[in-house]
Order: sequence, then C-alpha cells, then structure tokens
Amino acid sequence: MKKAFVENFLAGSYSLLLHLILVVLLVVGLESTSTPELASNPNVEIVQATVLDENLIEQEMAKLEQREQKEREAEQERQQKLEEQLEKTQEELARQEREYLDMQERAELDKQQREKEAQAEQERIKELAKQREQEEQKRLEAEKQRQLEEQRRQEAEAERKRIEEQKRQAEQERQRIEQEKQKAEAERQRIEEEKRKAAAERQRIEEEKRKAEAERQRIEEEKRKAEAERKRLEEEKRKAEEEAKRRAEEERKRAEAEAKRKAEEEAKRKAAEEAKLREQLLQDQLAAEAEEMNRKRVAGVLNIYAQQIQSRVKRYWSKPINARSGMTVTLEVKLIPGGDVKSVKVIKSSGDPVFDRSAENAVYKAAPMPMPSDPDATQKIISEGIEFEFKPE
Amino acid sequence: MAPTVLRYLLLFLAMVLPLQANAVLKIEITGGSEAALPIAIVPFGVEGYAPPEDISDIISNDLASSGRFAPLEKRDLISQPHQGEQVNFQDWRLLRSEGLLIGKVSSQDGENYQVQFQLFDVYKAEQLVGKRYNVPASGLRSLAHQIADIVYETLTGEKGVFSTRLAFVTEMKNADGSKRYALQVSDADGGNPRTVLQSTQPIMSPNWAPDGERLAYVTFENAKAEVYVQELSSGRRNSVASFRGLNSAPAWSPDGKRLALTLSKNGNPEIYILELASGNLSRVTHNSGAIDTEAVWMPNGREILFTSDRGGRPQIYRVDADGGRAERVTFEGGYNASADISPDGKTMAMVHAVNGKFHIAIQDLQTGAVQVLTDTTADESPSFAPNGRMILYATEQKGRGVLAAVSVDGRIKQRLGESGSAVREPAWSPFRR
Repeated sequence: MKKAFVENFLAGSYSLLLHLILVVLLVVGLESTSTPELASNPNVEIVQATVLDENLIEQEMAKLEQREQKEREAEQERQQKLEEQLEKTQEELARQEREYLDMQERAELDKQQREKEAQAEQERIKELAKQREQEEQKRLEAEKQRQLEEQRRQEAEAERKRIEEQKRQAEQERQRIEQEKQKAEAERQRIEEEKRKAAAERQRIEEEKRKAEAERQRIEEEKRKAEAERKRLEEEKRKAEEEAKRRAEEERKRAEAEAKRKAEEEAKRKAAEEAKLREQLLQDQLAAEAEEMNRKRVAGVLNIYAQQIQSRVKRYWSKPINARSGMTVTLEVKLIPGGDVKSVKVIKSSGDPVFDRSAENAVYKAAPMPMPSDPDATQKIISEGIEFEFKPE
Repeated sequence: MAPTVLRYLLLFLAMVLPLQANAVLKIEITGGSEAALPIAIVPFGVEGYAPPEDISDIISNDLASSGRFAPLEKRDLISQPHQGEQVNFQDWRLLRSEGLLIGKVSSQDGENYQVQFQLFDVYKAEQLVGKRYNVPASGLRSLAHQIADIVYETLTGEKGVFSTRLAFVTEMKNADGSKRYALQVSDADGGNPRTVLQSTQPIMSPNWAPDGERLAYVTFENAKAEVYVQELSSGRRNSVASFRGLNSAPAWSPDGKRLALTLSKNGNPEIYILELASGNLSRVTHNSGAIDTEAVWMPNGREILFTSDRGGRPQIYRVDADGGRAERVTFEGGYNASADISPDGKTMAMVHAVNGKFHIAIQDLQTGAVQVLTDTTADESPSFAPNGRMILYATEQKGRGVLAAVSVDGRIKQRLGESGSAVREPAWSPFRR
C-alpha cells in the first residue's frame, strides 16, 4: 500500500516535471527570436615606412612611383568600388532601417500578441494542467483499472495455466500411476515369486530352525541336565562345605572355648605368679630394708671397731728410727674369725723395706685382733679384710 | 604388668647397690711407738770347744745399747733353736718379737771357730739374713759386733756402730802417788780396751782421723803440749805441732789432710790449720783478747766450729776455714763449749752449763733449739757416734771419770766400760773402712 502510494506519487511528479519543461522551452523559444544580431567593426590599413640608399631610393622611388601609380589607379578603382559599395550599403542600411522599423512595429505587435497569447497560453496551460490532471487521474484510474484487469487477466491466465498444469500433471500422474501399477504388478509378481522363494526359504529356514530348535532343545536339555548335575554337585558341595563349615565352626568354638579356658588359666597362673613375685619383691624389699638397717648397724659397729683396732695396732707399731714424714705404706690385712692375721699384703709400698716391715709387724703383733661382737660386722671384716695406712706422722 | 615388675626391680636394685658399693674398712695409723723393738736373740748353740766369748750375749748387749732394741729376757725364750728348721714361728709371734736371731758356734780345737747366724722375720716365717764365718778365738768378740751391726742394719735400715771404737784417756794413780796416763782404744761398748800410748805426763784430746786408723792427740811428754799423730795398727807416731807455747786440740778435717789446731805461738791461743803433707800452717782466728780453741770441722770441710771466750764467757762460734769473721752460734746459757757435729751436719753437741752444772746438750743448727740430754753434772767431751744416733761423753761418777753415752733423743743413757781407772776425753771413731 505504501509502496503503491510512493509509486503513484513518483508518477505524478514525473508528469508535472514534464509539463514544466515544456513551458520553459516555449518561453525560451519566444525570447531568442526577438534578439537582433550586431555587425562587426570595419578594418583600418596601416602604412609601413623604411629609410633607404639614394640610388636605391631613386630606384625605389621610381618603383614606388610606378607602384604608387598603379596603386593609385587601383585605389581609384577600389575607391570607386567602395563608393559604389557604400552606396549599396547605404541603400542596404536604409533598407534595413526600414526593415528594423518594421520589425519594431511588428515586435510590438508581436509582443502584445504574445502577451495575449501567453496569457491564453497560461490559461490554456492551466486548463491543460487541469485537463492533464484529470486526464492523469483518468489515466491513473484507467491504468489502475487496466492493472486490475491485467491482474485479473493474469490471474485468470495463471488459473487457466494452473488448471492446465493440473490437468497435465493429473494426466502425467495418471500415466505414472499406470506405469507404476504395471511396475507394481511386475513387482508384485516378482515379490510373489520372491515370497514364494522366501516362503520356500523360510520353510527351509523354518525347517532348519526347527532342527536348530531341536538341536537347541537337545543342547538345552543337555545343558539343563548338566546344570541339574552341576546343581546337584553344587548342592552336594555346598552341603559338604556347610558340613565342613559347621564342623569347622564347631571346632573353632571348641578351640575358642579351649583357648579361653587356657587364657583364663594362664591369666590365673600369671596373676598367681605376679602375686608371688610381688610377694617376693615385697619380701626382697623388706629384706633389703632389713639389710640396709643391718648395714647401718654394721657400719656403726665397724666404726667403733676401727677405733679399737687403730689404737691397738698403733700401740704395736715400732716406728723405724729413720722414718720420715711423707712415707706411707698401705696394707691389706685379712683376718681369720678368731682375730688372727691370715695375711698381710703390701698394696702400696713406702719404698723403704724397713718401714714397710715395721707396719706389717705392727699388724702381726697386734694379733689376735679383737673382733666385734656383731656377727655381721665380723663376717664383713672376715670377708673384706681391713686396709691399713701407716704414716710416721 | 611389665612396668610394675621393672619398677619393683629398680627399687630392689636401688636398695641393694649401696651395700655392694660399700668400701673395705680403712684404718690409718699415725705416730706409732718409738719404743725399742723387741727381738728374740737365742743363745747361740755351741758345738765342740766352748768359745771364750758369749757371742749372742755381746750381740744382745750391743743391740740393747743402741736403745733401738729390746732383746727378750732369756727366761722368756720359749725354745732355743739353733737352726732354721727348728724354729716354730708361731712361738715367736706370740712373743711379738720383731725378729728372731739364732746361731751356732763350733770349734774342734778351741782355736778356730766356726760361727753362723740366721735372722728371721717370724711373722712371714722367712729368713732376713744369714751368714757363716770362720774366725780365731780372738776374733769372736769383733765378729759378734759385726753380726750386731748386720742385725741392726737389717732391722732398722741404718748402719750399726757396734764395730766402731772409742778412744779415751785414762789416768791412774800409782801406789807412790804418781799418775800414769794412757791413751786407750776400746770396742764401741767400752769393752776390750787396749792401751795405745802410755805416759807419766798427761795425754789429752784424742781425735780420730777419718780413716779410723790414726789418732791425733796432745801429749805433755816433752814437758810441753805437743800434737802427735799415731797410726794405730803400727803404733808409729810423730809430732805434727810443737810450736812455741800451746799446741792443743787437734781436729781432723773430713778429707783427712789437715788438722785444725789451737796454737799460742803468737802469744794468744788461736785456731790454725796445719796441712799435714806440707806442714803449711794457716791462721784462722785473730782475736788477741780471747782464747779460741776446741776446733771441729763441719762435714762440708769448709767451716770450723770453735770455743771462744771473746764474748766474756765460753761460747761456740763458727768461722770459715779460710779465716774471716767468726759468728757466734750458741746463745743459750752462760757456758757452751767442746762442740762436736753430727755426721749430717745438722746437730751440734756441746757441754752446756746450767746452774753451774755441766751437761751434754745438743743444738739444732738450723733452728738454734737447745736440748739438754744428760742429767749428770760433770759432763765433758761429747762425741757423736758415726751414725749420729748416740753421743759419747765423759762424766764423773763418785768423783771419778767414766764413759757414758746418750742417744740424741736423750732416752737412752748408759755407762760404758768397766775400767778401774778414771776416764776422760773420749772420742768415737768413724766407721771402719
């Protein structure tokens, strides 16, 4: 719709433009016919002068005079021609004057005429424009009508063609169907044949299938039998396993019970042992405590005993006359239970045999040593002996 | 459970370990007795002829005289073994003797004697020393002293002086009232005196040469005091100093080459040194106002101690043998004279007057400490034993001079010899060489 409007508008514009161009052309044509052509200016001859040699000049003069003569004669002739021409021109000019006046007159008349004509023309143009508009309108409508008709015609034609085409196609379809029918018949026959063959084949296959089925069934049967056998065996196995498991379980339970019993026994034994050990340790501890007390007691006894022994040995030591301070002899003395000396050993000599001997003799002379009343202290002295260190001062 | 056991065990160990770590009983003995060592000396057995000397008795006396030994009483001897195999050591242990000396003397002819001895450590039941000798009858006494020296040295570690001798002067009154003087030499115990010189004139100041073979002495036999040197073995003698005036107080230098003398040849008694080989005389002291006499050599042979009244009262001075200034040594008491020096040069013995009584005293030359050793009252001429343990001196008993000895610690005092004559100016010989 919009497109149609644009198209119509464009068509309108074109016709208007065409009319305008026609008008302009008309106006321009009128003006150019009224403008006169102007004549060009007359030519002016220019004399050229040149200075020459006397002789030459005279010669030249002579030549010139001759030429001048000729020229004057030509001139006179030309003058004459010119005068003739002038006369003709003046005549012409007068003619042209008259023509011009004529023409002016005519131009005025023309102008009036043309103004009238222009006015008429404008009215005519207006009329024309109006007319043209109407015509255009008519034409557009006609055109529209025509287009509609054309459309209708084309549509009818298309419809006709379509129908024809349909007809043709139908015919073709018919033929095709006919052909197909034939083909289908052939196909059907072929298929029939094939069906037959297929049936035969199927029958064969069926037969084979049947056989296969039979075979399958046989195999199935065998399988089944085998399966049954397997199941039977499995069952047996399962039963055996179950039996074994049951037995194992029984055995395990029995073993567990046994282990538990043993563990309990072991725990009991260990507890008893530990108790015994604790008892032992406690006794040991008590014994150690008693031992420690005894040790202290013995140490006390020995301390007193050492003083007794010291004063006794000292009393018996005849220090050598040449004993010097700094001399020291260390003896290890072993006693027998009665207090007699079992052995005296020089652990560290003073370096002076007389000094060493004096110490040894002091120990011997002090024997029998008194022994402590405490048997443990005595035992200790007997087992460990006494270490004496002799010094002059 | 395991940690519990472990804990108990650790506890147990902690209680047991200290017992094991306990040390042996240790006793320190210091001081000790300086009493004489008990020693069992069994009378020597006799085989054949009985010896003229009781050897074991001599030994016993020697050891006892030293003050270092206390021989057991004979009645205490449990048994009388003469040979090692007869010894039951336990017997002697019970007696607490430091040693057991047994021996045997045998002679087939009464002239020659075979002597053997053994010294045992009774506690270790081992022989310490044993020897065998063959001597003539006259040598038995000397042999006994030798054995005593061996025993002494074995048991004390120090040389014995029992074989050394004493020289001294005796004075006897004849029936007519005249006096007879004798220079005598005895055993160290004062026994066995022999006269080496006899004179009607006084004999004084015998002094042993270091070799123990010669004596220097002063004799008035030539109506004046002269110094003689006499060789003991041969009896040979010669005058070494007969200068004008006084020639007295000879003292042998430690090297035996010189004599220190007191000479008054220049008017005043002074100390001189006579070089024996050359007869050279050098004057040591120069003190015209005092008497300088009784020189004695220090063991170093460079210094001389002498008595001088230069201070008004007799005191002991020390001077270089080369001369020079003398320095006073004694300061304690108003009278100190007749010095002798111990072999180690540390102790000086002297006559020291206390309240007019003359005692033997010793002075420590380092500290100057003086110790009076004797309680006798007319003591004179102290002379050290060569081992420095005893000091021989003369004293008076019932108005008569006698020999006596005192140990340097003053504990042992004894009279020596049984001479019927008055004894004076003793001198203890050096060790035999």
